[in-house]
Amino acid sequence: MNPLALVLLPTVLGFGLALRRVRERAHLLLVAAAVVGSLLAFSHAMMSSRELWLWGYMRLDATSRLFVVLINPIFLGVSWYVAGRLTATPALHSGFGRFAALALTFLGAANAAVLGNHLLVQWIALEITTLVAAPLIIRPGVASSRSASWHYLLFSSVGLGLVLLGFLCLDRGLQAAGHAPSYFIDQLAALELTGAGPWGNLGLSLVLLGLGTKLGLAPMYTWLPEAYAEAPPAVTALLGAVQFNATLVLLLRVLQVYRPINPSLVTNELLILGLASMVISAASIIATWNMKRLIAYAAINHAGVIAIGLALGKGATFGVLIYVISNAFIKAILFLTAGKIKAHYRTEDTREISGLIKDLPYSGVFLLVGTLALLGLPPFGSFFGELLILSALVSLGHLYVFAAFCVVITITFVATGRTFFPMIWGLPKKAHDWPRQTFLAVSPKAVFFVILVVLGLYIPPALSGLLERVAASLEGP
Amino acid sequence: MSPLLIALLGALLLPVFVGSWRMSLFGLALQGVILAAVAYPGLGPLRSAHAWLSLADLGLVRGVLVPLALYTVLRAQGAPARNDTIAPNLLSWTLTLGMVLAAFNLSNILVSDPGQEQTLVAIAVAGVLLGFLVLASAAGPFSQMVGVLRIENAIATLQLSRAHESCFALELAMLAVFVASVALFRWYLASLESHPAALRERPGERGATADPAAPDSLTL
Repeated sequence: MNPLALVLLPTVLGFGLALRRVRERAHLLLVAAAVVGSLLAFSHAMMSSRELWLWGYMRLDATSRLFVVLINPIFLGVSWYVAGRLTATPALHSGFGRFAALALTFLGAANAAVLGNHLLVQWIALEITTLVAAPLIIRPGVASSRSASWHYLLFSSVGLGLVLLGFLCLDRGLQAAGHAPSYFIDQLAALELTGAGPWGNLGLSLVLLGLGTKLGLAPMYTWLPEAYAEAPPAVTALLGAVQFNATLVLLLRVLQVYRPINPSLVTNELLILGLASMVISAASIIATWNMKRLIAYAAINHAGVIAIGLALGKGATFGVLIYVISNAFIKAILFLTAGKIKAHYRTEDTREISGLIKDLPYSGVFLLVGTLALLGLPPFGSFFGELLILSALVSLGHLYVFAAFCVVITITFVATGRTFFPMIWGLPKKAHDWPRQTFLAVSPKAVFFVILVVLGLYIPPALSGLLERVAASLEGP
Repeated sequence: MSPLLIALLGALLLPVFVGSWRMSLFGLALQGVILAAVAYPGLGPLRSAHAWLSLADLGLVRGVLVPLALYTVLRAQGAPARNDTIAPNLLSWTLTLGMVLAAFNLSNILVSDPGQEQTLVAIAVAGVLLGFLVLASAAGPFSQMVGVLRIENAIATLQLSRAHESCFALELAMLAVFVASVALFRWYLASLESHPAALRERPGERGATADPAAPDSLTL
């Protein structure tokens, strides 16, 4: 089947929700579209088919197969969670049609960003995910979420503006080097570019800085903790696990094609952005007592680790990919769980929350597992990913970065544990009031939990093969 | 340097030194119109759909619709005339001029042959740098929007001298995305200014509940 279905199906259904009759069944439509999308994603990942589609504007290679199979099931999990919330709280039905329409359009655009074989198509798709996600961040009646939403849009516009500017400079660089300018990734890859003039260097720097902004890397990261903390949990999970990976695919495409023009510039810029993000994240985790902000700062730390892994190229890429997959599930579990905890305790202050394992046993277990995975403990993928990245840092001779990485990750470990473990194991501060947690609400987190643990212990051969192919494409010279 | 390019540089600089929101919008409008005039000197024969689209983008959207969209909101809100996009002091003004000089020096490196292309690149780089200066100085949403729109106009300036055109549908999609972004900006300008509390609040950095009255049980 044409992979365009992954883009068109959710988008058309999203627009279809403008009809009142359809809107009444928005939750069913959302889950049904997510189920079909996941099935399609798996079928594309498993079956061999031609690589280029839609006159070469879409591409089904190892990278796009891996990421459609990652983001679609996560979207399904989030949709399932939302349907569960809707069943438990019928008052949420009002205004849900708008959420479903925007979320489906978001999914269609995210799939387009992943499947695109043209840098401008991917850029447009990322812009669309931003434009539809911004209104989703706003919670009715919460003034501060409006401001967070604006800052998200502002920083995203600047970041994506820099990316477009970078593409224009790279295009000029191609022309200056005597190549036929193109934005098609397969054509650019075939050119086997080497050497960059001033246009190439400027373009590459701007693209990395712009994508870094969209991924929440320093220096332009301030939108991320604000938006993640203020958005409804389901939206935060979509931003952290779906949009983050759609943006990452564009970064991977740029690295696949343009890394050879100046490998040292890519390495140095990504190492600086990654390490700076980790340091800022560690300092912020120490300073905050706000649960969702803490998870958001940890997400910045993870983005930093991914940037450092990508900076290294050879030897670290397989580890980065394992880390990315694990990271997506960790964020989805933690943000959805944080939403449940906040709704129960009516606070985000971690000092006011204690004894979760007795008070909210499911949420306590999910927070515990998510925290352990977040901290990069075995047997989770984040542990193996970090191990491979650290090993590559040593083998490639980046010993100062290795030392800084170890110090920062230790500080992050202690600061996160200091805050989260008393929340889980401490004495409950209020009388037990076990709220009913429906199967619908718990099951997506449980499935994410199982996937996270299983992938830490065993990577199926099909997935392993896919990871190896993507890793090989990222290794660079 | 041609008179049009001098005018474009003036349109970039003047609103930075005059602290008025009307001047900021006038500057943006002027940039759009001048860019359209640079792209099509004398508005000669427009044969391709690409040319019509570029003209609509630069002259109509950037030159008229975008400034008008923001103007109607500010006018309806009765915004005070004064609005500094950068701090009104000698340091900021020196920084502004320094950035323009740096932009011209960078364009010498990027484009070796002197001429219109080199100047266009210099103005585009100056536009990006000044956009960032405005963003770094601004606290209010309107000035931040002006900063982003300055960067967007700088991108359009650089596009004037680009190597090749993309397919028409892509160009149209990019224009649609820009229009949608500005429509959303307009909505935020109206909604944030009518909810000033949203801008004052910096929710619980140290931990306390972000908004105790927030109906969390009614949040997805």
